[in-house]
Amino acid sequence: MIEILQWSTLAICGLVAAARVPSAIRGENRSLFYIFGLLTVAILLSIEAPYVAIDQALGGINLANLLLRFIIFAAIYFVGIRVSRGFGAEGAIRLITGKPGMAVLLVVSLLLVVLFFMMDTAGSSAGLLATSGKSERNFVLVEYYGAAGRAYPAYVSLVLLPAMLRTVTHRLPLLVRAGAGLLALGAVAVALTLLFPVVPPEWGSIKFVINYTAVLCYVIGLALIWAARVRSGKRISTKRTYTAK
Amino acid sequence: MTLPAKAFQRWLQGIAPDASTADVCRISGIKRTTLAQQLVRGKVAVSTVVSISRAYNINPVEALATFEPYRSLANPLPSPTRDELVSQISTADLLRAVLARPAMDPAAGGETPPALSPAPHATSVKNWVDAIDDGEVRHRVSAATGIAPQNYSAQLTANRLSPELAVATSHAAGVGPTGGLVATGLITEEEAGWPPGARQGALDSLSDGDLTALAGDRLQALGKVLRRQEQDQAQTEKIWENLG
Repeated sequence: MIEILQWSTLAICGLVAAARVPSAIRGENRSLFYIFGLLTVAILLSIEAPYVAIDQALGGINLANLLLRFIIFAAIYFVGIRVSRGFGAEGAIRLITGKPGMAVLLVVSLLLVVLFFMMDTAGSSAGLLATSGKSERNFVLVEYYGAAGRAYPAYVSLVLLPAMLRTVTHRLPLLVRAGAGLLALGAVAVALTLLFPVVPPEWGSIKFVINYTAVLCYVIGLALIWAARVRSGKRISTKRTYTAK
Repeated sequence: MTLPAKAFQRWLQGIAPDASTADVCRISGIKRTTLAQQLVRGKVAVSTVVSISRAYNINPVEALATFEPYRSLANPLPSPTRDELVSQISTADLLRAVLARPAMDPAAGGETPPALSPAPHATSVKNWVDAIDDGEVRHRVSAATGIAPQNYSAQLTANRLSPELAVATSHAAGVGPTGGLVATGLITEEEAGWPPGARQGALDSLSDGDLTALAGDRLQALGKVLRRQEQDQAQTEKIWENLG
C-alpha cells in the first residue's frame, strides 16, 4: 500500500516537473519548475531503494537524509514566496522572507546539522529507522532531528494557510479556487506532521499517508492553478524572473 | 420547482392528443433526450411547458395556470405597477432617456431615444425585486418558501430566480404574479399581458428628478459590480503572474 503511494506520488511529481520544462525554458515562473523538481527529488529520496543507492554514493552515512531535509526546506521556501505573492498575503511574505522567517530557517537548519552530526549515522537507512534503533541516545536524537525537519515546513504552511482559505471563498475561476483548496489541505497536512511524536507506533503508516498527501496536495494544487492560467489563454510576461516581485 | 410528469402528460394530451413525444420535441425545439430525462425523473421543467405551449400557439401563462403550483396565474391578472415596468428597462435605456430629457441637457433638442430593448436585461431580476420590495419582501419570501435568505440573495445577484420563487415573491409583495416570470425571461411582456408600450409609458411618466435619481442608483450598483469584477480579475492575474 505504502509503496504504491510512494511510487505514484513520485510519478505524478515527475510528470508535472517534466511538463513544466518547456515553460521553464521560456522563462515563465522558473521557480515553479524548481518546486516541482525539488519535490520530485525529495520523494525519490524518501523511497527506500533509491535512497540507499544515492546514500551509498554519498558515503553511506545517511547524508542523503540531511540533503532530503534541505531539499524540502528549499521547496517549501519557494512555495512560500510564490504562493504568498500570488495570493497577495503581504504578512505572509514578511513572515517567510523577512527577519522572522530567516531566523526560523537559520535556527532550524543549525539544529538539524548539529543533531545530525551528534548521531551515529553509519549505514544507509531511509527515514533513519536503523539509526534510531542503534541506541537509546540515537533514538532520542533521531526524534529531535525529525521534529526539527518538520518544523520549518510546518511554519511556512501555517503562515500560508489563512491566505489560501480566504481565496477558496473568493469569486475566482473554479480551477484557481480548487487549487487554493488543495494547497490549504496540503498546508494542514504539513502542520499535522508536528503531531507525529504523539502518534502511537502501531499507527505508523498514517505518517506516510500524511506526508505524501501533503506533497500531492501541493503539487496538484499548483498544477491546477497553472492549468487554469493555460485554459484562460493568458500568457504571462517572461521578462520577470523568479526573483522579481 | 418542477412540474410532476403525470400532470404534464395530462396537459400534453389536452393540447396535442395525437402527437408523439418526438413530434412535440421537433415542433418545440426541445432536445429529445432532455424531455425524456425529465419524464423519467418525473420532474418536468417549467421552461419545457413554456416552449411547448409557444409551439402550439398557447399562451404559456395560461398553460402554466393549469398546473397546481401556478393556479394563481389563472386569475384575471392585475396590471404591472409602474415601478415594475420601469425595473424592466435596461440601465443603458434609462441613461439614454435621462440624456434625452431637456432638464438634463437643454441642448439635446428633444431627440427621441431608440425604442427600449425588450425585457429581461442584465440586472432585471434584482431590479424587479428592489422595485416591489417594501423592505420586508425577502424576509416574507424566505418564510413562505423556506429558502435561506443568502441563497435567495445569491440568485438575485446572479440575475436568476426559479419560477416558483418568482411567483412567491410576487405574492409576498402583493403584485401581479407574472412580473418575476418576465424579469427572469421565462415569458415575454406580451405573454404576461403587459400592454405594448407600457414600459415606455411608465418611463415617460417619471419626473426628471425621479428618473435621474433612479439612473443614479442603477449606475452606483453597476459601478459596484464592475469594481468587484475588476478586483477579482486583478487578483486572478496576480495569482497567475506568480503561479501560472
